[in-house]
Amino acid sequence: MLFNYTIDGFENIQHQDYFSLQKNINKLMSLYRSYGYHQISTPTFETYDLYVHEDSIPSDDLFKLVNHQGKVLVLKPDATLPITRMAAMNHPNFEEIIKYSYQTNIYRNFSSPEMVKKEITQIGIEYFGNNSPECDGEVIALAIQSLLEYGIEDVHIDLGHVGFINYLFDELALSPKAKETLFRYIENKNIGDIAAYLDQLKLPADKKEIILKLPTLYGKPKTVLKEMKKLCINEKMEWVVEQISEIYDHLEVIELSKYVIFDLGFTNQMNYYTDINFKGYISNCGEPVISGGRYNNLSEKFGIPRPACGFAIDLLKVIDYMEQKNLLPQDDQSRNVIFYNCDDKAAAYQFANELRVNDSIAEVFLLKQTWEDHVHSLRKSQLYKNAKLYFLSEGNLYAENNNQFLPLDSIGIESEVD
Amino acid sequence: MVIRFALAKGRVARKAIELLVALGYIFEDYSEKSRKLIFTDTTGTIEFFLVKSPDVPIYVEKGAADIGIVGKDVLMEHPAQVYEMLNLNIGRCKMCVAGFKDRPIPYGKKLVVGTKYPVIAKKYFHTKSQSVDIIKLNGSVELAPLIGLSDCIVDIVESGNTLKENGLTVLEEICDISSRLIVNQVSLKTKHELIDPIIKEFETQL
Repeated sequence: MLFNYTIDGFENIQHQDYFSLQKNINKLMSLYRSYGYHQISTPTFETYDLYVHEDSIPSDDLFKLVNHQGKVLVLKPDATLPITRMAAMNHPNFEEIIKYSYQTNIYRNFSSPEMVKKEITQIGIEYFGNNSPECDGEVIALAIQSLLEYGIEDVHIDLGHVGFINYLFDELALSPKAKETLFRYIENKNIGDIAAYLDQLKLPADKKEIILKLPTLYGKPKTVLKEMKKLCINEKMEWVVEQISEIYDHLEVIELSKYVIFDLGFTNQMNYYTDINFKGYISNCGEPVISGGRYNNLSEKFGIPRPACGFAIDLLKVIDYMEQKNLLPQDDQSRNVIFYNCDDKAAAYQFANELRVNDSIAEVFLLKQTWEDHVHSLRKSQLYKNAKLYFLSEGNLYAENNNQFLPLDSIGIESEVD
Repeated sequence: MVIRFALAKGRVARKAIELLVALGYIFEDYSEKSRKLIFTDTTGTIEFFLVKSPDVPIYVEKGAADIGIVGKDVLMEHPAQVYEMLNLNIGRCKMCVAGFKDRPIPYGKKLVVGTKYPVIAKKYFHTKSQSVDIIKLNGSVELAPLIGLSDCIVDIVESGNTLKENGLTVLEEICDISSRLIVNQVSLKTKHELIDPIIKEFETQL
């Protein structure tokens, strides 16, 4: 006997959840389609070489396996890299605009804790070949609209720009280790430890002052923009302020700016983002559900320099939230079960087809026990709880209702179907 | 909207509650012996509950609590995706390697280390390229070298009295430890208007 042969981090999806999952996927796919995105898919396996130089995913987090040629493969740990390669291979013309949408599972071999899901269902978009604030705006807008489409109102997009910190640090002569430590403290908003760490570093006092302000650059966009302007020490930092304020203006025009807050504390330590990056939150849902940004240097690795921007939604996390809030689409299609005696087989199958043509679900079983026994055993099952039961005997049709069997004439069937 | 605190049971919680009271929050139903699990202040804006210290980062990371107060030792041992916003400078102590005075750490041979903090111990000896066997213990760590279970221990040391009474001494200091105020990454953004003043109040109290 095989008991409990499941692996930590991998789960079955129950039929009700799967129904909601499919509905949700379809909803977003038609949203993305209406904005001109083409749905594509890339293989589940990738070569290890594709990810080995990618700092964004630690090698330990990859599921690796060896194929018959001795080549090391990985289970796809992210969607963006393979899609970027696909765009580069299929559209070698640098100036082409390519808009892809995708829904895929990705796999991360997180070492701990054990209850973390290692198979993650993602849905999202990648927009290639457009470097304008309007493109960033469209990607952010679609991230917001994806959640609004689900009936989730409490949406927050946390928008940042990795350039602001990078262009500041370019001016400072810091060892890679010092930079990494500072980046980590900034991401954690660990102001206390930054101050203590800066004391050990040989930096001009005014620069230390600016670094100490970085973790506090979050909140209402207009306020943060004002603060940012004060901290600029070179043209590139000023350019970042201009970019991000243009994106915000764009979102104001399309009336989605109320969902956006700023946080300039994002760094690109663990990702490939070159410009803006953003996270999507839902109130009272403790972890981010959307992650996205602009990655202008990734396509170059596949020989085609091409700007790009996109996002991914952690779909199962969103569905968990929707379940708590009763926002999930319900399976309300009518479900019918027809029992028949041997002689009535033809009539039973014909009746079932009539129901199916009228957008109902119909199942057919041969009678083996008494009617009451069939009703009793079927009602016990969760799967048939709301099903309507019919019995065909000697050319007559009966509908079950609270263990009563009411005869239906042929006209009755018609009206039942309508 | 309520701001929910997760506090690490024990010494740190007492000091954290003192801090909250000093900020003007009144918890009428709280006493140390109370069996209630959640305490709300009289204005209804703040709630706190007490949990085992390693659980604090988990509650905060998952968003079950907006703010947590917990020792740096716990955050180092159980890293979590949270904002570590303030060093509260309470519950100060040191993470140390301790052993027998007359027997310094025998670098060059494999070391057996007893500790409640396997992650911290492993990382520390790893940076010194010292190969170690870590034995994870859940309490009375000082016992391990005394009965020959381990060569030394890695533990937090406050006064050093327990070590002294057992003939042990601090051999190496790993780092300073104090309590930190941690914040859920989503709460900081979505409950910005409520959380920001609380953090500022804590800051001025320090």
